[in-house]
Amino acid sequence: MEELKKGGIFEISDLKNVRISIGEIVEAGEKEGRAGEGEGKEREPMGPHPMPRIATLRDWDFKLLNRYKPFYAPLCDMCCLCTYGKCDLTGNKKGACGIRMDAQHGRIVLLACLVGCSAHCGHGRHLLHDMIKKFGRDVPIDFGPEVDIEAPLTRLVCGIKPRTIGDYEKVFNYIEEQIVQLADALHTGQEGSYLDFESKALHMGMLDSLNKEAADIIQIACYKMPSGFTGVGDGPDVPLVDVGIGTIETEKPVIIVIGHNVPPAADIGDYLTEKGLEEVVELGGICCTSIDTTRVYKKAKIASALGRQLRVLRAGIADVVVVDEQCIRADVLELCQKTHSPLIATNDKAMHGLVDRTDDDPDKIVADLVSERVPGVVILEPDQVGEVAVRTALEMDRKRRKLSFILTDAEFKHWVGECIQCGGCTLACPNGLRIGEANKSAAALGDTKPLADLFDLCVGCGRCEQVCKKHIPIVDVITKAAYPQVKAEKGRMRIGRGPVWDSEIREVGAPIVLGTIPGIIAPIGCGNYPNGTKDAWLIVKEFAERNYIVTLTGCMAIDAALWKDEDGKTLYEQHHGGFDAGGVLNIGSCVSNAHIHDAAIKVASIFAGRPLRGNYEEIADYILSRVGACGVAWGAMSQKAASIATGFNRLGVPAVVGPHGAKYRRAFLGRADRSEDWRIIDATDGSEVFVEPGPQHLLVACETVEEALPMIAKLCFRPSDTDRGRSIKLTHYIDLSQKYLSAYPPDWHLFVRTASDLPIAAKGELLKKLEDEQGWVVDWKTKKIKEGPIRGYNPSFNPTNLERLVRGRGKGKK
Amino acid sequence: MGVEIPFDVANIPGPEVGEVVAPEVIGSFISSAKRPLLVVGSEILRDDFFVETAMELAKKGIPIAATGHSLRGFVEKGYGEKVSYYNLHELTNCLRDPSWRGLDGTGNYDFVIFLGIVYYYASQMLSCLKNFATDPLVRAVSIDRYYHPQARMSFANVSARDGEEEEYKEMLLRLAESIKR
Ligand code: SF4
Ligand code: SF4
Ligand code: SF4
Repeated sequence: MEELKKGGIFEISDLKNVRISIGEIVEAGEKEGRAGEGEGKEREPMGPHPMPRIATLRDWDFKLLNRYKPFYAPLCDMCCLCTYGKCDLTGNKKGACGIRMDAQHGRIVLLACLVGCSAHCGHGRHLLHDMIKKFGRDVPIDFGPEVDIEAPLTRLVCGIKPRTIGDYEKVFNYIEEQIVQLADALHTGQEGSYLDFESKALHMGMLDSLNKEAADIIQIACYKMPSGFTGVGDGPDVPLVDVGIGTIETEKPVIIVIGHNVPPAADIGDYLTEKGLEEVVELGGICCTSIDTTRVYKKAKIASALGRQLRVLRAGIADVVVVDEQCIRADVLELCQKTHSPLIATNDKAMHGLVDRTDDDPDKIVADLVSERVPGVVILEPDQVGEVAVRTALEMDRKRRKLSFILTDAEFKHWVGECIQCGGCTLACPNGLRIGEANKSAAALGDTKPLADLFDLCVGCGRCEQVCKKHIPIVDVITKAAYPQVKAEKGRMRIGRGPVWDSEIREVGAPIVLGTIPGIIAPIGCGNYPNGTKDAWLIVKEFAERNYIVTLTGCMAIDAALWKDEDGKTLYEQHHGGFDAGGVLNIGSCVSNAHIHDAAIKVASIFAGRPLRGNYEEIADYILSRVGACGVAWGAMSQKAASIATGFNRLGVPAVVGPHGAKYRRAFLGRADRSEDWRIIDATDGSEVFVEPGPQHLLVACETVEEALPMIAKLCFRPSDTDRGRSIKLTHYIDLSQKYLSAYPPDWHLFVRTASDLPIAAKGELLKKLEDEQGWVVDWKTKKIKEGPIRGYNPSFNPTNLERLVRGRGKGKK
Repeated sequence: MGVEIPFDVANIPGPEVGEVVAPEVIGSFISSAKRPLLVVGSEILRDDFFVETAMELAKKGIPIAATGHSLRGFVEKGYGEKVSYYNLHELTNCLRDPSWRGLDGTGNYDFVIFLGIVYYYASQMLSCLKNFATDPLVRAVSIDRYYHPQARMSFANVSARDGEEEEYKEMLLRLAESIKR
């Protein structure tokens, strides 16, 4: 017989010398309770799928993939991954290795998710190393009285309740092992099925969500970022901070931090505080590091989201630039050199060819930077960054005070006059902006407005300048034209609040599942917008005003803060910050968006009492059928955005992307016209029910924001909606469609099960439309629908996609 | 016609790239198509002319799928009932499926014409059709002011430099003129 030894080692008695290690055993009946608080209640038993491997949740993935079939739009028709190639796969041909175009694209999607997931995992692991070094592995994960379920994804995926940050070592061990297994599947001659590639991508996406949660939990615990303590400005009460290039006080020494990994920036904040320099030196940032810096240092400002990075650097406002990791321009050093801004690279993943000066004497480093003997340095110890950055900024400010990098009027005039309207820049511009025409208006008529109008539409990539035969500094020309509006770019946003409170979930769980809070809308991610930052604001505004809960993270959280209403207020100032109807919540940086997954998971766990531990499939099934949440990555750009969206999708949360998102090559689209795809099970009695297409897609691109608004509302329908909830959701779907498309949505009737699903104010009119346009039979005396809907409304309908959840059937089956 | 640069210059898909053709060539293909479909996007809203051109084509028996928020333009002209709103991703997903029943419930299309769609989104959808709507073949072409290498046939880039928007309009008029249905 086998004998279980300590540490998960089996010995098999008949085979004396054979020991099989299955790693650590997670003890059943582990004690619940906050670390350091002694005994709590018994933990829930382990669910069926702790630490799932590649194939563990494949059945769930295939359920999703059968309904939301992968749709491929190749960006390139060839494969050049091995020396058999290049292979031409046009027309779904096979390459020399036998892979077809569709599988090859599943492979490319998996590759994108691998890169994205690795970025978050690498970041998380790096952070963990630094934090253990600084604070030790016993930093408790205690988010206060409002957050009992501190790590929903960790519990759900790993079956672990992390008590200290040290517990995350085993979480990262698991993730890293899985990433390697998944990367292996990318090799030539491995996977051949596009469905299996997608299942692997979904697995990668789930790991990515876990990475994000781990990273944010570690930094919240170590830096005491806002979490669940009452009366200290956490949760709904987090303070507001300044956002926008115009908020940076350039008359002071300015440090600009860029990236995603906060420890170096936190050290700068600590140094400024320690030396009493908070009012003397400006600490501003770009992208997620800036969001996280505001969570640790109250004087920090957010200069801009990713889309303004090139322009902030070109404007030369930084006396020192400090980069950590991810979303940093690859030419950052060149840009910094042009504006005499020393660069400090703080992460071994992005060292930009600079010399590593970690552990060197700060006096010498500062002297070298200030004298510009070196354009920058690498300092890999976060705790050594603050002093060097601040002292360098103080000295560089004195040297740089007289410099200006904004074009003079004469330079501007010269450059716009140089333009020959050849159109080369337009062909190079990802948004096809008509720069030549705008130059002509400025040159010929002195009208700079067309150029100024390009400022917000421009995503700040610089591709136009690469092709301009006249060497016009196009980005600078646009910035100059828009300079008054750039200076006036002063917004306000809430600092990242981190976790949604358990008490908030208790309050809103029922209205979300019943549908009376029509949805959770999550604008997240990068700024590759088709039509400027104002769309981010419009999306938030529309849904917050309609009493959806709007949870933002990352660049969209920043960009939405740049715009104001007639009273000069941003959406963060107009709306409360609670996880409740009409709330506008900045959850935090990219890694913080795990708390949006967590909120959905906590609805299933806290409100519905579904077991959490190692129980991913059941919780995802619950969310897909009942939690009307929809992600909006309107400017999704990076590989991280691919893995983030895929992680949301596996958990049953759909996402809408902007038109650039079509370049991710793959969408997950449902077909409303194929009723057979919408068969689900009533867990009450095991009967099969054909339902309306809710949510219709898991990943879809919209061409314009006007199209996206009704689409987002549509993706909040769930089979579990009550009639009251459904009528509210229908009201918004129809209203947004009428407002932005000037028409009823063509499919609104699909979501009507009974007359009480109809918006009350328009009930008669809608019944008439159903009768006239859809041929439904209406009993006008009772104002009831007699015939027509896909199904009737059954208030006790208990939707699931998992047979094992049918009551009395398959208990304990995996 | 000669070689053309993609409107988004790096958008070079591979060995099979669309042919640059004159409006009359596309017109003659539309004339002989069994089931053509006009897919319009939000860029048609930049000028009434484009909405009217689409309506002209519709009068020649080509149904219109209005994607993005282009539907607005038709509603404003009292033509909303005659076009069908579709999200472009959804529509392309249907077009690649031979069993799709089409806008009128009678079947899929054999010739699809893209007009007024954001360039890169259109390009991706044309790529899907080129690569996956091959049996039976759905020919997808572009009549936008951009060269679309992912389309089977496309106009050349027509930049909006002085007078060239007029040139583009002229091309659309020639196209409409040449369709005999
Ligand atoms: S991996 Fe396959 S498809 Fe790609 S180049 Fe090699 S043989 Fe060709
Ligand atoms: S590439 Fe240069 S010269 Fe040509 S239109 Fe653009 S700005 Fe003008
Ligand atoms: S920097 Fe702006 S204008 Fe230039 S190519 Fe990029 S998006 Fe277009």
